[in-house]
Amino acid sequence: MKPYLTKGIKEIIDQFPEVEKILNEYDIGCGPCNVGLCQLKDIVEIHRLPVDQEQELMARITKAIDPEAEVKIPEAKEAPPPEPKAFNYSPPMRKLVDEHVLIKRWIALIPEVVKDLEVESQAGRQLVLDGVDMIRSYADKFHHAKEEDILFKYFDENSDILKVMHEDHKQARGHVQAILEALEIKDKNAIAEHLMAYAGLLTEHIRKEDEILYPWMDSSLSTRQVGELFSKFNEADLQMGFSPKKYEAFIDSLEKKLNA
Amino acid sequence: MQIQGCPGSRMMSFENKDAKDSGRVVGKIQSQLKQWPIQMHLISPTAPYYQNADVLLTADCVAYALGDFHRDYLKDKSIAIACPKLDQGQEMYLEKIKAWIDDAMINTLTILIMQVPCCMGLLNLAQQAAQTAERKIPLKFVVVGVQGDILQEEWV
Repeated sequence: MKPYLTKGIKEIIDQFPEVEKILNEYDIGCGPCNVGLCQLKDIVEIHRLPVDQEQELMARITKAIDPEAEVKIPEAKEAPPPEPKAFNYSPPMRKLVDEHVLIKRWIALIPEVVKDLEVESQAGRQLVLDGVDMIRSYADKFHHAKEEDILFKYFDENSDILKVMHEDHKQARGHVQAILEALEIKDKNAIAEHLMAYAGLLTEHIRKEDEILYPWMDSSLSTRQVGELFSKFNEADLQMGFSPKKYEAFIDSLEKKLNA
Repeated sequence: MQIQGCPGSRMMSFENKDAKDSGRVVGKIQSQLKQWPIQMHLISPTAPYYQNADVLLTADCVAYALGDFHRDYLKDKSIAIACPKLDQGQEMYLEKIKAWIDDAMINTLTILIMQVPCCMGLLNLAQQAAQTAERKIPLKFVVVGVQGDILQEEWV
């Protein structure tokens, strides 16, 4: 089992698909991850399961990898009813989580935008451009930049989890670039394909950040660092040179239009 | 048995403390206090040790109840102490907390209170001051049980 602790999770799942099913049962959704570089030991650590659940999880994974291994799987306790996860984020993390709300509202509208996608008229093309502006200015410049330029610097940027986050950001930028290129040649299918791929990628990315990355980071930051991050985020917002209210107005009006 | 009276002044005795001692600390414990004065009426909120500091606003009783107070909470922090139940002239406290935030540009404010209901007054006071201050800073509160256990520790 020991060599597998330091192997990338994607590699383990490819070799032993049962492991993905087991992880899912513990609400550890590594399956859909695009990168899968995280090592098994880090995944188990970062999810901070109760000790008995962690032991049970590791025993089951060991058994899935090596059915001959002598493993004592702790007796399953009667599962308590699932409770919604409530995180007490520090103020800077809360700010990032709150920023996700507008991005999630945009993502929720994408299937409707794609359904009515129209690139022959100026109005139809403008809607795509406005959506791209929302992604580039709000999601990327306003939000992701705070993560990449400030928050991630407080941690080991070579850690697997941050590599995954950087890779997600990179892929998101790739989809945006592809949307703009497709718009140039009025390729409706390619625009739709990349918008939907962006929506899927960001949905999973935000879930990872809200439920795993930020709580883990909060548990590692000192009070001093939390205060510093709070100030730096506020400063970054001031220097951004535009108001996020513009994008709130864009989403408000699009929701009204599409839900009318 | 139904317990009567104010929980803040109810008599209690905690027996058998030796048995609960984890025995982690060996030798003389170094004080982490790095300033004087500390009482809220006596402090100047713009004193050098408050500038850009992480500040503890601590109810008087906390340091007696919390065995690891110096090591776990006071280390690297500046402090002021107050009693929201007995102190007079608490409107002055409000102004001093605002001055910490706006003038001394403190980095964070952590409010440590006891579990007794009257201690909530200190948290309310700090929140009120933070809301009226021009700058915004992270606020954390820690509730300490009368036997020194941490009952709650959360960002506001």
